[in-house]
Order: sequence, then C-alpha cells, then structure tokens
Amino acid sequence: MRTSAAEGAAVPFRGLAAFLWTEVLVQAHENLAMATSIVVQGVLLVFVWILAPSLIGVALVGAVLFSMFAMGQRVLNEAAYIRIDHKANDLYLAGPLSPEAYFLGMSLGILVVYLTPVVAVGVLAEVVIRFSLVEAATLLLLALAVWVFAASIGYVFSTFFRDNRAIWAYSSLFFNVFGVLPPVFYPFDRFPAGLQPVALLMPPSAAAAILQNAIGATSLSSGELSLAVFGLAAESTLLFLLAILWARRTVQEV
Amino acid sequence: MSVEALRSEDLRKIYTQRGAPPVTALAGVSLNVHRGERVALLGRNGAGKTTFLKIASTLLRPTSGTIEVFGHDVGRAPEKARPYIAVVPQEGKPFFHLTPREQVYTYLRARGLGREVARSRTEESLERMGLTEFADRLAITLSGGQRQRTMVATVIATEAPLLFLDEPSIGMDPFARRDVWESLRNLTRRGSTILLTTHYLDEAEALSDRLYIIERGEVLVTGTSEDLKRSVGGTLKVSLAGGARVVESFRSFGSCVADGEHLTVIVAPERLGELMELAVRSHLTATVGPVTLEEAFLRVVGRSINED
Ligand SMILES: Nc1ncnc2c1ncn2[C@@H]1O[C@H](COP(=O)(O)OP(=O)(O)O)[C@@H](O)[C@H]1O
Ligand SMILES: [Mg+2]
Repeated sequence: MRTSAAEGAAVPFRGLAAFLWTEVLVQAHENLAMATSIVVQGVLLVFVWILAPSLIGVALVGAVLFSMFAMGQRVLNEAAYIRIDHKANDLYLAGPLSPEAYFLGMSLGILVVYLTPVVAVGVLAEVVIRFSLVEAATLLLLALAVWVFAASIGYVFSTFFRDNRAIWAYSSLFFNVFGVLPPVFYPFDRFPAGLQPVALLMPPSAAAAILQNAIGATSLSSGELSLAVFGLAAESTLLFLLAILWARRTVQEV
Repeated sequence: MSVEALRSEDLRKIYTQRGAPPVTALAGVSLNVHRGERVALLGRNGAGKTTFLKIASTLLRPTSGTIEVFGHDVGRAPEKARPYIAVVPQEGKPFFHLTPREQVYTYLRARGLGREVARSRTEESLERMGLTEFADRLAITLSGGQRQRTMVATVIATEAPLLFLDEPSIGMDPFARRDVWESLRNLTRRGSTILLTTHYLDEAEALSDRLYIIERGEVLVTGTSEDLKRSVGGTLKVSLAGGARVVESFRSFGSCVADGEHLTVIVAPERLGELMELAVRSHLTATVGPVTLEEAFLRVVGRSINED
C-alpha cells in the first residue's frame, strides 16, 4: 500500500515555502513589469516635487505605502490569471498543498520580487526625513498591515471572476479609489474635513495618516489616531482571516 | 476488505447560473475504480466527463449523491481526500515562465516531497515524457504538445495513489502519446490507480483495464474494451466498396453502416464465409479487419442517441 505517505492530511500552510519559491521563479522573469511597477508612484512624486517640494517627505512615505497596496492588485491579477488561463488551482489545490499556503505563497512570492523598488523609495524617504528608529519601525509595521489587507482582498476578489478581461476594469478602480485619491501622497489635513473619517478607515490612507502624525506632517486628535490604528489593525486581521477561510472554501466550486 | 480507490453512487450535478436554465451534467453516476486499475471515461463532448473528474478531484461540489476517494467522502471532507490525488486538468498549462524541470520539481516540493526524492522523480519523469531536450527552456517557448507533455510529466512525477487525467494526450504526437501510455502503465505497476478521459479510442483500448461510456450524464455501459466490442454483435468488420446500394441484403449479418458508396458490416467470425460469398456474388470488393473500439463506441452511443 502506497497511501501511507498521504496520512496526516490538512496541515495548515503545508507547502507554503515551496509555493512561495515557485511564485518567485515565475515572477522573477518579468523584468519589465518590475521596473514599471514603480511608474505611477514616480510620476506622483515628480508632481509633488514640482508643486510642493516641502511635502516630498510625506509623498515618499506615501509612495512606500501605496506600493505595498499595489501588491494586492498584483495578487488579484495573478491569482485570477493562473486559475483561469493555466488551471493552476486544479493542478495545485487538488493535492496536499494547503489552500492558504497557495494564497499566501503567491502573495509573498509577488512581494519578494517586487519589493526592491519599494525599498529604494523607502531608502530615499529615510534620506529626506531621517527617521528615528521608532518611526522606521512604525513605517515597516504599517507597510506590512497595508500589504496584508491588499493581498487578502486581492485574492478574495480574484475568485469572483471567470474571465481575465473583466478584471482590468476593476483593478484600476481599486488602485485609484484606495491609493491615489485619498491622502496617501499628500497630508491628511488637506483632505476635506467631512470625509476625513472615511480616509481613516481606508488602509493606505489610515497608514499614511498615522505616519504623518508620527513625523509631525499632520496632527491627528487622539480619537482620530485610535480610529486609524484600530481600524487598520482590525481590517488587516479580519481580511487576512477571511482570505484564508475563503481560500479553503473556494477550492471546491459550487 | 480494502476500500476502493474511487467509488461514486448516484452522483448528480446540476449547474445553475443566474439568467440561464439549469444544466444537468451528471444524472446519477455510479462507478468504481479498483486499486491499481486504469479506467477510461469515454463519451461525447458535453457528456459529463470533466464534471465527474472535477467532483472526484475535490474541485467541484456535487448536487447530490456520494463519492469517496480511498474511503474519504469527497463532498464532505475534501481535505482528507486531497493528499491521495493528483490531476492533469483539461486545458491546463504549465507556468510559462518556468522550465519543465522547474515546473515538475517545484510542484513536487509544493506537494511536500523532500529535495532528493523530488529531484530524482523530476529527472525520471522528464525522461519518460521525452522532455530531456527541452527541460531547461521556458515553457513559453515550447510547442503546445510539449507543454502538454510538461503537464503530464508534472503530475505523473507525484506517483500519487490516485491520478485523474482529463484528456492528457490532447495535441500530442503519436510518439508522445505512447510515452504517456507507458508512463501510466508504469505508475499502476507501482501501485497507483488511474482514471482518465480521452477521445482517442485507440488510446483507451491500449491503456485501460476497463472503461465507462458516459452519455448525457449517465453511464451507458462499462466493461473491458473487448466486452464493448463484443456487445455490438461481432468482432470482425467487413468494408464493402460500392456496397451501400445493396445494404438490405447484408442486414441479416449484423449492424450495417453506409458511408458514401461504402458499406461497413459488423459480423461474427462464424458467419464471415457466408458473407464473403454474398459479396463475391454481388461483385463487391471486401476488406476484412477487426472491429475497433471506435466503431463499437460509435454504435453504442449512436444507438442511445437514436432511441430518443
Ligand atoms: N460551469 C458550467 N456551467 C454550466 N454548465 C456547464 C458548466 N460546465 C459544464 N457545463 C455543462 O455540463 C455538461 C457537461 O460538461 P463537461 O463535464 O465539461 O463534459 P465533457 O467533459 O464530457 O465534454 C455540458 O452540457 C456543459 O455545457
Ligand atoms: Mg471535458
């Protein structure tokens, strides 16, 4: 009997490292995409530099957070593409690889490959702002939370499509509504006062507001700060858990 | 008593979509695959083969009925069944930016195999599927058939206890198809069980211990390909050039199919002499050959279509 190797089914995150590595290999061939991944951020930085050079520090921090958010859109596109065009779900998920390892491995693989330009922007931000250790740690933590949120929502969203073309329309919406429009690249207090609570509930702008507050580029009331911190923490955690459950559920189509 | 590798009972699948009438893809399929068996699922396009394989491989929820993989209920506890299986999906493709060697190796690693085992299985599988020459080229530069070979190499390398292959040899040249057959035979020798679909009836005949013909979501017949061929009334086939004109005089020998000028008659060996005499008297040129599975399939499924 050769079925004994199969005992001990359903280990959470089984296969994570190996699938992460697979995705890194897959993504690493996309040199051009890696370079263009930073174009939107670069353009917005140039705008800020021309229009309000004093805000370039804020914009650089925004660019880091925005980039982390944009990784989620890559997860959305990648997950849908390999499922629809390559039948990768059928190949990988009808087997011992756990669905959450598939989701997380794919997301981390994309992150690893596309992180270099983001780190470059982060270094530039450091040069301009001269972060304290606490501020640098805060930025890292916020970037992580934004990424978790974006990757999770990207994966969940990807499962709703049967056709890759339909995604294009949504991805730019996603990108612009969460990342470009709200105060990510510019100070939180310039955002219309009535809409500020909304911005504090959107992960990229919440993270930006917290960091701007830390470096003195904006000043949040303690209520606003709590809303941003707890909102971001809750949204990232919940979305991550949802994505894991969703990944497990959607292996089997209805 | 050991459990079956696969067992389904009264399995039904009705696809429902908003704004479209429901489609009954499986209308109560009961079948079983014994351990170590190679079973082919045959049927016309849309018969329900892919639907069955998707349900069996835990990728699609059945509407009703039960299905078990090594005794694990696929509908209720799919995660228990998954470690036993591997799938070549219909129209699957390897990652374009991996080489066949990377594709097979990383896949085995993602399934939890250790480095050493994964490496040696990868090399063996690439060799078996005739991919050694292309093993280090990105899949995007490979031909369709070479990509399909990569998919098959990836999945057979798992040596999973139960393999599902949905049209695995599609787009392959006759040599590659034979590589697939040999690889699958080798797998069952090592103890794996195989359920595959194919539209190449010579493949089904060469490869499967047993087959099921599915038509409109129901099992029409099951048995060996010999059983199936016998069921159409004879094991010999006589082609009569120009015989279409006189089809009536040959009806008594067995099933007759006119194709243009030609007439094909399926006949039992005992009556061959009698038939040949009639052919000579009618000034017809006759060619005798064995009945193929394809002919048996056409007749069995054709009969079922005509009944409605
Ligand atoms: N996702 C789906 N939604 C609705 N109908 C479907 C879907 N998938 C397959 N079908 C229908 O179910 C039937 C069986 O399809 P399938 O199992 O793919 O057949 P086969 O693999 O034998 O060619 C067909 O009539 C097909 O149109
Ligand atoms: Mg099919």
